[in-house]
Amino acid sequence: MKKGELVLKNVSKKFGEVKALDKLDLVIKSGELVALLGPSGCGKTTALRIVAGLEHHDSGSIKINDQNISGVPAHQRNMGMVFQAYSLFPNLTVLENVAFGLKMRKVSKEKQQKKSIELLELVGLPTQKNRFPHQLSGGQQQRVALARALAIEPSVLLLDEPLSALDAQVRTNLRDEIRRLQLSLGITTLFVTHDQEEAMSMADRVGVMRNGKLEQIGVPSDLYNKPATPFVASFVGIANRIPAEVTGKGNVKVLGQKIALSEFSMEFDDGKKVNALVRPESLHLVSESDPEATNGIVAIKSFLGPLTKIGVAIEGYPIVHLNLASKDVKRIEIGDRISFKIAADELMVESA
Amino acid sequence: MKRSLTLYTTLILGGIFVFLPFGSAAEFSFRDGGANKHSLKAYRWILEQPDFVHYLLVTLKLTVIAVVITILLMVPTVVWLHLRAQSLRPLMEFLTILPLVIPVVALAIGAQSAFPTWLQSTEYELSLMFAVLAMPYTYRTLDTGIAAIPLATLTEAARSLGANWFNTIIRVILPVIRSAVIGAVFIATALSLGEFTLTVLLHWDTFPTWVTSISQQNIVGAIALSIFSLAAAFLILIILNFTIFGARTKKVEE
Repeated sequence: MKKGELVLKNVSKKFGEVKALDKLDLVIKSGELVALLGPSGCGKTTALRIVAGLEHHDSGSIKINDQNISGVPAHQRNMGMVFQAYSLFPNLTVLENVAFGLKMRKVSKEKQQKKSIELLELVGLPTQKNRFPHQLSGGQQQRVALARALAIEPSVLLLDEPLSALDAQVRTNLRDEIRRLQLSLGITTLFVTHDQEEAMSMADRVGVMRNGKLEQIGVPSDLYNKPATPFVASFVGIANRIPAEVTGKGNVKVLGQKIALSEFSMEFDDGKKVNALVRPESLHLVSESDPEATNGIVAIKSFLGPLTKIGVAIEGYPIVHLNLASKDVKRIEIGDRISFKIAADELMVESA
Repeated sequence: MKRSLTLYTTLILGGIFVFLPFGSAAEFSFRDGGANKHSLKAYRWILEQPDFVHYLLVTLKLTVIAVVITILLMVPTVVWLHLRAQSLRPLMEFLTILPLVIPVVALAIGAQSAFPTWLQSTEYELSLMFAVLAMPYTYRTLDTGIAAIPLATLTEAARSLGANWFNTIIRVILPVIRSAVIGAVFIATALSLGEFTLTVLLHWDTFPTWVTSISQQNIVGAIALSIFSLAAAFLILIILNFTIFGARTKKVEE
């Protein structure tokens, strides 16, 4: 596969008065998988469609391997794209679908056939080659779409929420498979999704987008552990918002505990009322005698397999959620009184 | 068992309701001077009419032109609406219903005053009007047919795979909207073959108007003509069905 480095510089796009992209900068290194994550309307799909040439940007530049492709029409960009909706040509067989891009490139019939079968083997569907799309399951259709996108040896693979129409189990399998293929072929990939688990599990780097801008881009663990903004903190993983107060020297007082502020929350003044963002897994059960313990009544208990989510009602606070190992909470029932404390080195806060 | 009984009863009753009048008319058209003697006399009489072939060909010609106008005008319009101008669909919905709402007399007068004189003086103005009269049905057939297909995504997929617009239209758009187009062709054909009111109002003669005038001379002959037109229309639609649909069925079976 031709490897390509994709660079977006200062890319802006407006739909009427709405800024879909606001001076977006993004670099995807050759062979890297970058996921753009964000709520609907954040501009992630627009970014991908602009790279594909299906949408035109108002300003800025898009380069592949240092070549500006801003003015190149979609059909000459050599991008492989997999869409959210099923996009196989219903009048063509699976094999003809995969061969479509090669046919457009006037590759010889024999080569078309050979390459298409090779790719169908790669996605595990060689026996389905003479079927029509409507005879395949949703997962199979997306595999064929992936094979079709890879057949043209694209310089960049673009994935526009390709898994969101699939059942949970098929989704997980296909997710792992896409990543396996992407790694083995070493193909530069831009992946757009609103599912944070999908983004975190597949991508080398994840970019969180909001209002047409990248809020933060980094490796998944950094995004999770060191979110740069409250938006990232709450979008990547779940966070409790607990009323708190900033105290002197970069600390925050929350539920009676004094904890350091994260480096991204230093702008808050002493005495300011804030919400501390606390991850459910940063809350641990302690004995009632612990000096830092907070007491509350169990209001919610949901079993999630290895983890159990506990919601605790504390007077004067919204419900606080804890994620605890299921084996540790067997004896806890709704209505029980429990004690817990925050086990985090630093916290991010936002204005209350 | 019970369900299939109801189904068959309904089918048989429906069949009687539809085919009994046809059967009776057909029987009547074969009569030769009374209920007991049957012959092909009335049909021979049709063929003996000097204008028979002329009007048949006129109507067929006008029908073909009306269908071509419909396809050239409606298919690109509806495809474009779906790809680029979704927001204009309600407006088109309204515009295309107008031929049903506006009385045919008003349409005829409108056509007479709006068309250039050279067009008014040829029968081809009828083809244009047939296409307009069929529009409420052809638009809806195309619109529903195309709405059922993710046309925008398919187009984008083709573009991203390297197809230019020409290839996208020929290899992707046309094949996937084929059945909607065939539906529209059927409707435009059926309507054009049988259109009467507007033709009379614009003072032209076509097969249907000729049938009406000739039927005043020979009642059995008129019934025979009706049966003939019905059979001819059926035949044309069946031929269309097999030539265009046939290709697709074969492809799926391969």
